[in-house]
Amino acid sequence: MPELLAVEGLGKAFGGIRAVDGVSFRIERPGIYGLIGPNGAGKTTLFDVLCGRQAADAGEIRFEGRRVDLDRVHRRARRGFARTFQECRVLLEESCRDNVLFAAQDKRLGREGLQAMLRSGRARRAARAEADRLLDLAGLARYAEAPASVLSYGQRRLLEIVSTLMTRPRLLLLDEPASGVNPTLLNALHDFLKRMFAERPAVFIVVEHNMEFIMSLASEIIVMHQGRILERGTPAAIQASRQVIDAYLG
Amino acid sequence: MHPAGRAAPWAALAFVVLLYLAPVVFAGSPYVLYILTLTLCYAVPAIGLNLLFGYVGLVSLGHMAFAGVGAYATALLMKAGVGVVPALAAGTLGAGLIGLLVGIPCLRLRSHFFIIVTLAVGMMLYLLFNNLDWLTGGAAGLPGVPRPQPLDLGVATIDFRLSEGFYWLAATAFAVAFAAQYLLVRSDFGRSLAAIRQDEALAAARGVDVFAHKLAAFAISAAIAGLGGGVMALFLRAVAPLSFDFMESINLVLIVIVGGAGYLYGPYLGALLFVALPEFLRAADQLRLVAFGAILLVLALYAPRGLCGLAALIGRRLRHTPAGAAADA
Repeated sequence: MPELLAVEGLGKAFGGIRAVDGVSFRIERPGIYGLIGPNGAGKTTLFDVLCGRQAADAGEIRFEGRRVDLDRVHRRARRGFARTFQECRVLLEESCRDNVLFAAQDKRLGREGLQAMLRSGRARRAARAEADRLLDLAGLARYAEAPASVLSYGQRRLLEIVSTLMTRPRLLLLDEPASGVNPTLLNALHDFLKRMFAERPAVFIVVEHNMEFIMSLASEIIVMHQGRILERGTPAAIQASRQVIDAYLG
Repeated sequence: MHPAGRAAPWAALAFVVLLYLAPVVFAGSPYVLYILTLTLCYAVPAIGLNLLFGYVGLVSLGHMAFAGVGAYATALLMKAGVGVVPALAAGTLGAGLIGLLVGIPCLRLRSHFFIIVTLAVGMMLYLLFNNLDWLTGGAAGLPGVPRPQPLDLGVATIDFRLSEGFYWLAATAFAVAFAAQYLLVRSDFGRSLAAIRQDEALAAARGVDVFAHKLAAFAISAAIAGLGGGVMALFLRAVAPLSFDFMESINLVLIVIVGGAGYLYGPYLGALLFVALPEFLRAADQLRLVAFGAILLVLALYAPRGLCGLAALIGRRLRHTPAGAAADA
């Protein structure tokens, strides 16, 4: 069986700074993978290159056996890539439910055009029921009709994550999901992600600085440092690694 | 959902029915009917621009030029003896096609670069209208566009020797554009466009082909503008380059902003104000711009979302007044 995600010799430089410098790794099985590393290690740039927001200077990305690094962002999204942003992006004018429904809709132009003329009631109701179920699981049910702009920052993060899960991603990239989220909401987020993973196993890669959160969430941790992969292992092994501790303490 | 998405279907239908009834209500006053027909001639291109500006957030400063493409195409075909419906359809498609071709390079540019290029495109098309004498008649334009043959609709016949005939033709073109706008903004396509306006990076990350969606919206928007131009050519029975110059394009942007960008009824309200106000005030043509400038300033200060935005705000205030307080008053 080919690996799910294979990244080989990936590089991305900004001027003289090599944000991502020859990163290679493979992910064979669905799972929740933590991606950690000190500030400036290149985690977000790696995400941007993986999902196509930035073009790689070097290297190759294969997903489910097919090369994707030449595809544009929306093509990768249609292939099952979904991501959240470090700065948290939701559609502020739309209601929470519409945010989630938008994530799930078929965005091919022809389909959208047809849909304008022939609206399938059943498909619509099913999508709506699923959106409401996910919002409920995330504890956002009472905001379903409210515009996303009324949510707190932490709630927006949850909404963003619910939206990505609504697309039934096969590769989910979460960029610092716990930052700016209060402790109560953090527990809800932790349980929600565990539950969604159990429901639909896929590759979840989570960039996170909150060590307690990521160590209990992820089954495997990948450590980045200065644009390269420093180490990879179980949370326990990583926490005991001399190399990782040195990288963090500089 | 976007404000216009919430507009009730029955209200939209009632609005169109009312439009059709105008000739009955104003049966004794051909002058009013003339004004209302001209309003519709501007309201249709305004719907086109509203789709682009109000929903996708793209400002085009050359949109009347696309109306011009529709006007010249319709006029030339009418002069060649083509029927009114195929001539209008060809004008619409022609403008849409030009929009598509122009959109491919322009939409690669972002924000203000895009705006400036639309300005240049509008001016280029104007220069073509003004100088391709063999095709467009140059500065003199194309006078004498023939009166359409009576249209037999089975239940009724639209006779173009009466001003009602032109009104109903314009109202039908408006109804088509209005229905297109209504369907598009309520569809998944409309939701993708609204997402692009709010956050392009997010829309792309969720699978929206931003360029293709913008291009489709631009072409549809140009086609609707072309339909409006075609109706204008039929109604005024002449086409001249000055009707589609830079100032007219700016006026169209003003119509959309004053009416309320992103609202279904915005284009009609804006056009009504723009066409009717100076006529009823009997002001000189130049004063219209002064009056519009003043209105624009007031709206920018107190109602940045135009007349429709103002109406929606007042509606919300009234509804949110506690029932008890209302009863006491």
